[in-house]
Amino acid sequence: MIYTEICKLLNIKYPIFQGGMAQISDAKLAAAVSEAGGLGVIASGNSPPALVKSEIHKIRELTDKPFGVNVMLLSPHVEEVSQLFVEEKVPVIITGAGNPGKYMRIWKEAGIKVVPVVPSVAFAKHFEKLGADAIICEGTEAGGHVGEITTMCITPQVVDAVKIPVVAAGGIGDGRGIAAAFCLGAKGVQVGTRFILAKECRVHQNYKDKVIKANDTATVVTGRKTGHPVRVLKNRLANQFRELEKNNASVEEMEELGRGKLYQAAVLGDVVYGSVMSGQIAGLLSKEQSCKEIIVEMFEEAEKIMKNLAGGNNE
Amino acid sequence: MILEKVKEILVEELDVEEESITLDSKIKEDLGADSLDLFELISRIEDELDVNIDEDDYGKLITVGNLVDYLTEKNK
Repeated sequence: MIYTEICKLLNIKYPIFQGGMAQISDAKLAAAVSEAGGLGVIASGNSPPALVKSEIHKIRELTDKPFGVNVMLLSPHVEEVSQLFVEEKVPVIITGAGNPGKYMRIWKEAGIKVVPVVPSVAFAKHFEKLGADAIICEGTEAGGHVGEITTMCITPQVVDAVKIPVVAAGGIGDGRGIAAAFCLGAKGVQVGTRFILAKECRVHQNYKDKVIKANDTATVVTGRKTGHPVRVLKNRLANQFRELEKNNASVEEMEELGRGKLYQAAVLGDVVYGSVMSGQIAGLLSKEQSCKEIIVEMFEEAEKIMKNLAGGNNE
Repeated sequence: MILEKVKEILVEELDVEEESITLDSKIKEDLGADSLDLFELISRIEDELDVNIDEDDYGKLITVGNLVDYLTEKNK
């Protein structure tokens, strides 16, 4: 049984966070992950506070286990949503796509556990100083908004830089990834893309099918010029971004191209002209399973690997 | 001297020539820093000058001059 500081900190059975994915991880998916013993995370994305509030109420009807809410710091509603978390007394806040520094004080004062996603060591140290309870270091293998450094490289460096527990994210899709993350010094993992294929995930079937069909070279990062690049599965939209980048388009033009495109893919099922955010590990994934099956399978495999490593078993 | 230290850090962190740095140089637009660079810069300045730069003040630090004035104030 893999039980770490992360399990103790958040009162969860397995040290696994389900990655907050806008338009994809709602109360239903998060509740299923939490019920299965991980930390389910509701993604607030660009949603207005009323919608986030209703998801928080929904998850509380579905589970009494701990859950997290992800705040996407580029959202136009970030101020109100950050305040909402305090009012709703959510147990855990995961932050992404930016610097949550100015909100940490009110969250910590409200007794909420705060776990920022960081793209670099400097951010990790900074948030530890501000009182973060743990850090998620996310490698560029991840889907959605990504940094430049790989999980393999950023994890041990962040582990060395901070004393709080580190959760590795990006490129983890099975027990081997979990074992690797632990070898790098992490005390937990965050998994996104694999949970897209969870039965409890409401994303459009076309989106799931595209993830299943993906191979190792199927993703590309677009929008680097905007300062907030995203990793997506290659399609016509990704090509359009590439054209804009080739022709030195402005940041505004690129942002305009991306507007509403995640909804178009995730909800409407347009995986040709919509934005199909996904991690590089999509190439490994082919099964639709329940959250419970995913988590149990991943950790059983990880335990077996880690036992074999310890025993020096070379079979 | 605060300006000298800031210039030294800017040269190393942003790979720019010292001659290109003036008090009016905009850290992002003229010296080419992106938001990750800016953050690394601020962290390094905090460590080396033993100062704490408030999150809320990041937006005020547009030019090198803004930064030097801010640090001078903090030093008093």
